Amino acid sequence: MPDVGTSSASAAGASRAARTRTLHLLAVISPGVLWIVIFLVLPSAYLMTIAFMSNGPYGLPQMPWTLDAFKQLAGYGFLGWSPGNLYTLLRSLWQTVLATGLVIAMAYPMAYYISTAPARLRPLMLLAVVVPSWTNQVIRAIGWMNILSPGSPISDGVAALGLISPQMGLFPSKFAVVVGLVYNFLPFMVLPLYAVFEKLDWGQIDAARDLGAGPLRSFRHAVLPQTLPGLLAGTVLVSIPAFGMYVIPELLGGGKSMMLGNLVARQFAEASNWPLGAAGALIMIVATLGGLVVLRRLGRKLGGDTQVVL
Amino acid sequence: MSGRGLRITLRGFWYLMLLFLYAPLAVVALYSFNSINSSAVFAGVSLRWYHALLADDTIMNAFYNSVVLALSSSVIATVVGTLLGYGMYTHRERRLGWLIWLVYLPIVMPDIVYGISQMSFFTSISAATGGMLDLGLTTMVIAHVSFQVPFVALLVYSRLVGLDSRLFAACQDLYANAWQRAWYFILPTLRPAIVAAFFLAFTLSIDDFVISFFTAGPESTTLPIFIWSAIKKGVTPEVNAIATLMIGAVFAAAAVALAFQYVRAGRRNAAG
Repeated sequence: MPDVGTSSASAAGASRAARTRTLHLLAVISPGVLWIVIFLVLPSAYLMTIAFMSNGPYGLPQMPWTLDAFKQLAGYGFLGWSPGNLYTLLRSLWQTVLATGLVIAMAYPMAYYISTAPARLRPLMLLAVVVPSWTNQVIRAIGWMNILSPGSPISDGVAALGLISPQMGLFPSKFAVVVGLVYNFLPFMVLPLYAVFEKLDWGQIDAARDLGAGPLRSFRHAVLPQTLPGLLAGTVLVSIPAFGMYVIPELLGGGKSMMLGNLVARQFAEASNWPLGAAGALIMIVATLGGLVVLRRLGRKLGGDTQVVL
Repeated sequence: MSGRGLRITLRGFWYLMLLFLYAPLAVVALYSFNSINSSAVFAGVSLRWYHALLADDTIMNAFYNSVVLALSSSVIATVVGTLLGYGMYTHRERRLGWLIWLVYLPIVMPDIVYGISQMSFFTSISAATGGMLDLGLTTMVIAHVSFQVPFVALLVYSRLVGLDSRLFAACQDLYANAWQRAWYFILPTLRPAIVAAFFLAFTLSIDDFVISFFTAGPESTTLPIFIWSAIKKGVTPEVNAIATLMIGAVFAAAAVALAFQYVRAGRRNAAG
């Protein structure tokens, strides 16, 4: 109790004011906080406990506590060890890394270009980048299915170059999955990168040039360090959701490009093994929390006002 | 490379990226007008798939569910999220680190984990209470609000951060009480942000598939879920038609959001 032993009236008044402010804080934030805690934090905590339970006869979790789900995730099943689940994990990781790398390569010049455009055009250009991501994920996947399907001009062109056999088409394939991931997450990299490019200190670059540094050296020592916070924030916002992606591998991958998200979903649907699915989800939750730690650190570096909205 | 050459290369790259971003949507729209049933060959313009759409009761029902879900969740999320964003701003000196964590959690969490957590949670509650929170429109609204609230709160918060904090002090100097302050100052200044937040929440709801998919019941099929099961059977031009209408709706919402942004910018210029 902070107000125990206060003797002066002003101190009592101050503590009363502080209490009023605390009540005000609770009144305005509690609906939102409770909603997120009850309907997201509690369910995720529940899901994490399922990961340590046994699989019941109908796929529903039951006692006793066990680590079986994690063993199954590592490949140990009733029939001995098989690498299927590990392959899925590694494939998720590899496709995430590949897609994130491509997204960086595309978003970096875009964000720079937007930041050098006339100020009144910039909101419009950012909107042009963001609007496609407002359309439904499934619809965007249909667009790529159309573009890459066998017989489409692009598939025929690639077949004519001899890169794929005719009649094959570019979809379904791992290639289509990576294209879909890049397409889906490009805006999440452009926005934080734009935020750092907008505040770029050109004095440092001029100084590097004056000191005789070539374009590459001045980029590495004057530009890259300044944009690093945006780059890292973008990497978190792209790679974590990409790692758990469900829709794109399911629609564009055609069964052979399953990622962790699909493995998890399958355990709750046809395969009926909730604990195994929960164990896979646990990995994603841990990755999410790790990503949040990075974002929080960056938030301070990027300055308190910079919000990574959208 | 010279500065000019770099500029021209960058501009070319920018247009290439715009093509990359809009080609899939354009292709969906194009094939929705295809006169034959093919997603690779365009034979001629026809509206037959749009006519088929209107005659399909399942689609109209899914459309109805989508609108009810998006409207009700957005209204709740706008109220709850505006309060949260306002609280985050007025009490920002308290360094509420845990609150920032809580707000960013729904934004970063992969939607599959999100959907499955809520699905298993709702199912268990329903089993324990004998039918309370059965999967259906109610659970979908609850789920949607939980991911819309952080976006609304951040939008409102960043609008408040952009304000001159002396305005709040001025209000107090004029002896405005809390209610008067809210009614005559905070709500009017926040109106553009609140409207934008509502539209953002609405598009987030329409855009969502995964979370809806896992928290939906048998009677609460929404448009994205309908489209999903239709493609699982093979893309039909009918799906392209409904997808095109949804893309059009999103573009309209984007235009509204942009209009509000320019109104804001215009006022700022006039004031400064």
